[in-house]
Amino acid sequence: MTGKQKKAFWNAVQTGLIVMATLIMLVPIAWIFMAAFKSHVDVYQLKLFFRPTLENFALVFREPYNLGEKLWNSTLVALATVVIAIPIATMAAYSFSRFRLRGETVMLVTILATQFVPAVVIILPFFVMFRDVGLLDTRLGLILVNLAIVMPFAIWMIKGFIDGIPLDTEEAAMVDGSSRLQVIRNIVLPMAAPGLLTAGIFCFILAWNEFLFALILTSKDAVTLPIGLALFKAEEGDLWNLLSAAGIIIMLPMFILALMIRKFFVQGMTMGAVR
Amino acid sequence: MAEVVLKNLTKRWGGFVGVDNQSLHIADKEFLVLLGPSGCGKTTTMRMIAGLEEPSSGEIWIGERMVNDDLPKDRDVAMVFQNYGLYPHMSVFDNIAYPLKVRGTPKADIAPRVRAAAEKVELTHLLDRRPKALSGGQRQRVALARAIVRTPQVFLMDEPLSNLDAKLRVSMRAELKHLSRELQITTIYVTHDQIEAMTLADRVAVMNHGVIQQLGTPDEIYNDPANLFVAGFIGSPAMNLIDGSIREGHFVTTGGTRLTAVRAADRARVVLGVRADDLRVSEPGEGDIDVPIYAFENTGEATLLTVQWGQQRVIARGDRHLRKEQNDIVGLSLNPDHLYLFDPDTGRRLTA
Amino acid sequence: MRDNTLKYLLVLPAVLLVFATAIWPLVESLRLSFTVGRLNRPPSLQQYIGFENYTWAFLEEPAFWNSVWVTLAYTAVTVSLTTVLALGLALLLAPGGRLRSGVQTLLILPFAMSPALIGVSFRFMFNPEFGLFDAFFGFFMPVFAGVSWLADPVLAFAVCVMADIWGWIPFLTLVLIGGLSSIPRETIEAAQVDGAGGWRLFRDVTLPQLAPVLAVVVILKSIFSLKTFDQVFMLTNGGPGTATQTLSHYIYFNGLKYGQIGYAASVAWLMVIPMIFLTYAYAKFVFRKD
Repeated sequence: MTGKQKKAFWNAVQTGLIVMATLIMLVPIAWIFMAAFKSHVDVYQLKLFFRPTLENFALVFREPYNLGEKLWNSTLVALATVVIAIPIATMAAYSFSRFRLRGETVMLVTILATQFVPAVVIILPFFVMFRDVGLLDTRLGLILVNLAIVMPFAIWMIKGFIDGIPLDTEEAAMVDGSSRLQVIRNIVLPMAAPGLLTAGIFCFILAWNEFLFALILTSKDAVTLPIGLALFKAEEGDLWNLLSAAGIIIMLPMFILALMIRKFFVQGMTMGAVR
Repeated sequence: MAEVVLKNLTKRWGGFVGVDNQSLHIADKEFLVLLGPSGCGKTTTMRMIAGLEEPSSGEIWIGERMVNDDLPKDRDVAMVFQNYGLYPHMSVFDNIAYPLKVRGTPKADIAPRVRAAAEKVELTHLLDRRPKALSGGQRQRVALARAIVRTPQVFLMDEPLSNLDAKLRVSMRAELKHLSRELQITTIYVTHDQIEAMTLADRVAVMNHGVIQQLGTPDEIYNDPANLFVAGFIGSPAMNLIDGSIREGHFVTTGGTRLTAVRAADRARVVLGVRADDLRVSEPGEGDIDVPIYAFENTGEATLLTVQWGQQRVIARGDRHLRKEQNDIVGLSLNPDHLYLFDPDTGRRLTA
Repeated sequence: MRDNTLKYLLVLPAVLLVFATAIWPLVESLRLSFTVGRLNRPPSLQQYIGFENYTWAFLEEPAFWNSVWVTLAYTAVTVSLTTVLALGLALLLAPGGRLRSGVQTLLILPFAMSPALIGVSFRFMFNPEFGLFDAFFGFFMPVFAGVSWLADPVLAFAVCVMADIWGWIPFLTLVLIGGLSSIPRETIEAAQVDGAGGWRLFRDVTLPQLAPVLAVVVILKSIFSLKTFDQVFMLTNGGPGTATQTLSHYIYFNGLKYGQIGYAASVAWLMVIPMIFLTYAYAKFVFRKD
C-alpha cells in the first residue's frame, strides 16, 4: 500500500471503531426510549417497528404508581439541596481561593475526602438518628444528607471558578473604594455567576440521581424518582414499558442539564485534579 | 495631592525579604519611577502603598496621615494595574464610574465626570462597550480613565504599558507623560523598562534585592551611576565592565593592556565601566588599543561592534555607515570624560 | 470588618455543614461499630463490646469474605477495563473534527444517567426472553441463546461489570481527552520531526505526559468501584445467592435489613481504611505543583 492508501485505510478503521463505540453507548438509551413508547404487548417482542403510544406516560402518573409525587419530591429535594449548598459553598470557596487560612490544606483535603467515604458508612448513624427524631421518610431529612454529597463538589468546583477571576480586578475595586464585602457583591458574584450556575446544575444532577440515601431513608411520603423505579413490578414480573417511561422522566431532564454544562463536568467530578 | 513618605519599610515572607528597610520621600506632584529587574521589590513597595500588601514593619505616610492601618479604599489613591483589572461585566462607562459610585458620589455628578475623564484619554466613542470588545490599547485607556476620574492624592501605576505591543507602548508613553504633566498629581510608577523610567520620571529609584540602589534624576542615574548594579542596569547596550587594576596611576586590564586614558590612585582590583557610545571606533593603530571583531551588527541607525578584548567582550557603537567583517581588527579609543571606576567587592563607585 | 476575621467567618458555615453531614456520621459509625447496635433493641441495651463485631466479621462470617472478594474482583476488572477502553476511545476521539467532536458531546449522556436506572436498563436488556443484548449475543454466539444471564453466578457478575463500564467509560474518556489536549502540541510535533511515529510516539511522548491524568482516572475509578451499590442493587440485588454481593450491598443488608447496625458499622469502617489511602493519593494530584 502507498502512504496515501495506508492513511485512508486507517481513517476507515478509526471511523468504524468510533461508530461502533457510539452505537454501544447509544443503543441502551435508545432501547429504553423505544420501550417507553411501546404498548404492553409490543414490549415483550423484539420489534424495531411498532405503533408508538403515549399511554405509558399517562399510566405512570396514575394510581397505584403516582409518579407525580415522586417527581415532585425529587425536584424539591434536589432544588433545596442546591439552594442551601451553593451560597454556603461560594462563601467558603471565595475564602479558600483568596486568603491564606490556618489549616487551609487540612480543611480542603478533609472536604475532598468526605466525598470518597462510602455512602453506606454515612447513612448508618443518620438512619438511627432520624428514626429517633422522626425525620425518616421526610424530604427535610433527605435534603440534609444530600448536602453531604453535594457540598464537597460545590466547594471545589466554585473555588476553581473563583481562582480563574483575575486578582487584579478585585484589587482595582478595592483601590477604587470598595470594602471586601462590596468587592464580593459587586465584582466577584457577577463575574462568578456562570460558574455558580454551572456548579448548581452539577449538584442538582448529583442530588437528583442519588439512590442509596433515598432507598434507606424513605418509604412512602418522601420517595424520589430512582426509588420509584421499584414500583413497576407486577406478579408476572417487571412492567418494562412503564419502567422505561419512568426512566425517561428521570434521565431526560438530566441529559439536557448535563449537555448545558458538559464542558465543566470533568473539572467538577475530578475536583480540580484534571483541568 | 500630597507627598508620600516611606519610613524604614520592610516586607518579609517567612525568611524571604522582599523590601528591606527602605525609606523614601516622594514630593508633592512628583513623578517617581521605581525601576528594577523582576523580584527586586518595586511592585511590593507599590502594593504596600496601595494597601494591598501589609508591611512587616515601617511606616507609610500619605500627606499628613499615617496610613498603615487604612484599608485600600480609605487611602485615597488610584491605581492602574498591569493587566488593567477592568470589570468585565460592566460597560466602559460603568468601569470608569465605579470609583465614584462606590464612594457615593451624587448621581448627577457622575456622568459629566466620566465623560470628562473619557475625553482626556479619547474614549468617548466607546463608553457603551464591554472591555472584552476593546483592543489592548483601549483597555489601557479605560484603566487610566478610571484612575483619573476621581482626583486622588496619589496615582499608582504598576507596569501599565508592559502588556502593549512595542509600537503602541511608545505612543502611550507619550500620552502618559502629557497627561501627568497636565494633571500634576503625585505619581508612583513601577517598571522594569529603563526607557520608560528615563522618559517619564522626575526622579528614578533603581531597586535591587529589596534595596534602593540609587535615587536621582534620569540624568544622574545615567551619567553618574552610584554602583555597579545601576551602571550595568541602565543603558542599552549595557555599560561595558572591564576587570583590571590601577598601577602607577593607570588602568591595566587583567590581560596586561595599559590604558593611559584612565587615571586614578593605585588599587589592586577595580572594574572599569565605559558605555558603548564612549568608545570611538577607528582604524587599527589609531586608537588606544587594537582588537579583533567578534561580531558586527548593523541596526540601521548605528552599528554595534562586539570586540574580543583579551578574555572579555566589549561593545562599541560605530557610525551607521561603518562596514566591517568578523575578525577584522579595529582601533578603539576611550573618552576620558566618561569613564567610571568601581570597587569589585562592594560594587561601589570609586571617585577619582 | 477586617479580612483576618472575615476569612474565617466565610468558611465557617461550610465547615460546620461538612462536619455535621460527613465527619460526625463517620465518627458515630466508628462508635457504633464497638456496640451491639441492634436496631430492635432499646438504647440502654446497646452496650460496648469492644472489637467483637470486627472479629465476628473476620472469623465467623464467610459472607463477609465473599463480599470482600466480590468487591476486589469487581474493582480489579472494572478499573482495568474502563481505563484501557477509555484510553483507547480518548485516543480515537481526541483529534477532533465533526464526527469526533459530535461523539464527544454525547459522551456525557451515560454519566448523567442515574446508576440505578442503568441497573434497570441492563436487567431489561439481558432478559432471556425479550432482552436486546440477549438476542444480540445469542445471534453471534449461539451458546448464549436463551441463557438466563442473571441466574448464572459468573454471567451475572459479567453483566454487572458491563453495566458499570458502560456507565463509566464515556466519562473517563472525557477526562482523558482533557488530559490529551493539555499535552503541549510542540512536544508531539518535536517528536514527529525527530522521527517518532505511531506506537513509539504514543509510548515515548504521549503516555508519559498523560501519566498523571491516567493515575487520577485509576484512583477515581477505584474509589467508585469499591463503593458500588446502586447498579448492583437494581441489577442483581447481590444475586444469584451472593455471587454479586459487593461490600456496600453487604453492609446495607446487614445494617438495614437485618437490623445489625453495629456490625454493619464495623464492616463499613473496614471499608473506610483503603479509602483513606486512595484519598491521600488523590489529594497529591489535586495539590500537585504545576
